[in-house]
Amino acid sequence: MSYKTFWLAAGLILAMGSTVRARSTLTALPDRDETWVRLDNPSATLVQEERVLTLQKGLNRVDFSWRGVQIDGDSIRLEMLDHPGDVKLLNVSYPPGEAALVWQIYAPEAYREKVRISYLLAAIDRLVTYKAVAEKDESALDLKSYLVLRNFSGESFAKARILLDYGESFEAGVRHEETKRMLFFQAMDLPIQKVFRWDARKMPWDPEKEAETPGIPFFYTVQNTKDKGLGGSALWSGKARVFQKDGHGSTIFLGEDRPGFTPVGEKMELGIGKGRDVSVTQKKMKDERINVRRNDYGRIVLYDTDEEMKVTIENFKDKPVVIELTETIPGQWDMESCTHDFEKEDAHTLTFALELKPKEKVKLVMHYHRRNVR
Amino acid sequence: MRTTLLSLGLVMLAAASAPADVDLTVLPERDAVQITVYNAADLTLVRETRVLTLEKGDNRLSFAWSGTLIDPTSVALKAPKHGDKVELVHASYPPRVRGKAVWTVHSEVAGAVPVEITYFISGVAWRAFYMGTLSQDETTLDIDGYVRVTNHSGDDFADAKTRLVVGKVNLLDRIADLARRTAPYGSPRPTPPGAPAFGEAEGAAPRDKLVEELQKARRKFGRQAQEKKIVKEGLSEYFLYTIEGTETIPNRWSKRLPSFHARKVKVVNLFKYDEHRWGEHVRRFLSFKNDKDHHLGETPLPGGVFKIYRVADRQRRLSFEGSSRTKYIPVDQKCELDLGNARKVLVEPVLMEQRFENHRFDNDGDVNGWDEVQVWTVTVKNRRTAPVKLEMLRHARHQYFAVKNDGDCGTYTLDDLDTLKYVLELAPGEERTFTCTMRYAEGSRR
Repeated sequence: MSYKTFWLAAGLILAMGSTVRARSTLTALPDRDETWVRLDNPSATLVQEERVLTLQKGLNRVDFSWRGVQIDGDSIRLEMLDHPGDVKLLNVSYPPGEAALVWQIYAPEAYREKVRISYLLAAIDRLVTYKAVAEKDESALDLKSYLVLRNFSGESFAKARILLDYGESFEAGVRHEETKRMLFFQAMDLPIQKVFRWDARKMPWDPEKEAETPGIPFFYTVQNTKDKGLGGSALWSGKARVFQKDGHGSTIFLGEDRPGFTPVGEKMELGIGKGRDVSVTQKKMKDERINVRRNDYGRIVLYDTDEEMKVTIENFKDKPVVIELTETIPGQWDMESCTHDFEKEDAHTLTFALELKPKEKVKLVMHYHRRNVR
Repeated sequence: MRTTLLSLGLVMLAAASAPADVDLTVLPERDAVQITVYNAADLTLVRETRVLTLEKGDNRLSFAWSGTLIDPTSVALKAPKHGDKVELVHASYPPRVRGKAVWTVHSEVAGAVPVEITYFISGVAWRAFYMGTLSQDETTLDIDGYVRVTNHSGDDFADAKTRLVVGKVNLLDRIADLARRTAPYGSPRPTPPGAPAFGEAEGAAPRDKLVEELQKARRKFGRQAQEKKIVKEGLSEYFLYTIEGTETIPNRWSKRLPSFHARKVKVVNLFKYDEHRWGEHVRRFLSFKNDKDHHLGETPLPGGVFKIYRVADRQRRLSFEGSSRTKYIPVDQKCELDLGNARKVLVEPVLMEQRFENHRFDNDGDVNGWDEVQVWTVTVKNRRTAPVKLEMLRHARHQYFAVKNDGDCGTYTLDDLDTLKYVLELAPGEERTFTCTMRYAEGSRR
């Protein structure tokens, strides 16, 4: 019975000056025929490579060593492709103190067996970045998406098929410690909506008392739908840099954000920056107890409140703006009167969508009772 | 003069199939450069124009930018005259090489192709500042606005079209941090400690070269008979200032440029009293509106330090009245310059009487409710030689109160549920006293 040892993955290890010892005679060093790198799972990268092993009849020993390469040893799988029923992997042993394993393979005949080796490789991943250029009137934008391959795994891929979680695979080479950025897709003239968001829980109520003029965050919204020019696939989370055409053949940078994963049918929101030409001032004008109930000792045990909140929104711009105000009222409440329509986001959160004309000043007054306060 | 980054290292590799770093061709100088400097973040967008000689098919371009604080993830290329026919297909950042990238540019045209190369750079900043000169009677203010651009980027900008942006942009990472990264997009595994940063100390040009360049720029500027204009326009939520012509700003130099001049801006000598903010002191403000009636209102006023002087005598000698850091002031909004504590306008509230009335008792005979009456005498004094407007805030203990004023207290309104706002106009030397009676409902009286 003869034992043959093959040393796989040696190409890259040798290239790094590895000094891996073989346990038996090294008789062949098969090159990788094809390598697939799957980057569809953000937490781990799966590498699958195909090689041809020259197996002798009987038991064969094959060494697989990955010194300096970030392979998860438990994840390594070996699959026979030509004679999956006949050629059998009998056992796997791990030599002490080495990033290596030894496969014991039984072959009923001498075969040139094509095998697929799979393993999870760390420190190699992909990022997605976006570059958007908005029209001067902020009605639409051109979106480009880039894929960034970062390979710090210790393994160099001269040529590999790269697979993402959608779209066609593509061929690329990426060396150890190399970063590569590729244009991924582009979509032109996507309609956008611009909106300011002011949240009473987060923003200062009286901008006059602030040392710096508070900026109100503003956003662009892009719909990931077919009718809006996208909708082909989900948009991955990644840094998005937004520019705007200046009308003179150049652009300015507006801001950057990292939108979340946006499935088809959902909207991608890009936080751009803060606008200081719209101001919101909120003041509580009334907060009194009414319907007071006392116990036998005269102590107040239950009451309602009569509250009035005044919100002044001023648009100092010479263009119309859309602003969403978020207000909260705790506990049980009834709105007695309100100058503007609102949407109830949840039991305690109200959203007002307001459109202000150029230079318009709007006063929003909420008069409400909180009930059964103890 | 040391030229900017890409002219140092931008080279072209002739054939698509050729291995990297062979057949290097040094490109010609850049034809034009535009810098767009932001003031709310350490960020400058640089756009330069060059002519590349491309072949049909894939062209590999290699460039380096060591010694400067460029964000390598931001570098982009576009051929405006050829639309989609020239495209940057991918960029590769070679292993263990810092400050270098290799691009694959696909071109459907052969020959000379003008391209725009854009990138972010850290270390260039600008700020606004103002000088105000009050008339002797303190009714009008002459305002001179300036901007100062400072270059610490490691790069020299010669004859650069200079634009300044006023605005608060969202930034996820500091450009200086991105510029100093070993791997441009970071690494999925932690960077080993002690990895050297780059780009800070290198690249300073010899001083004599810089001076020569500056003198050249001065000669050029000196030929202009008039001050440079600054064109201002709004874009999205920001304002863009484009400085006429070009500017030369060598590394480590800064440049001051006039932004605007406004003459005889009517101002209000506004004095404020608010114990919650300034204790017992009256605060002096100069107030005016950023609008056309005040010879302003063309653009928002960026935040900056305002130094206020006053014409002190007929020879127009000046006195320094104080300085204030202004906030960003949108068009049509009021600007209030805080000149600090005023010594000649006084507000003296004195509690003259305290009474307790209308007691209520619980079932055990204990007190559980009452009214507290406070009688305050408020004296306001204008010891200045000019009229003043005084805004005085009085804070009630809580919202369960009633107020009664006796005497000339000006106008008063409820500013919010427990704050009263009095506005008084006081003539030079005037002193006025009024009484303010506060009735607080306590306990079960509420």
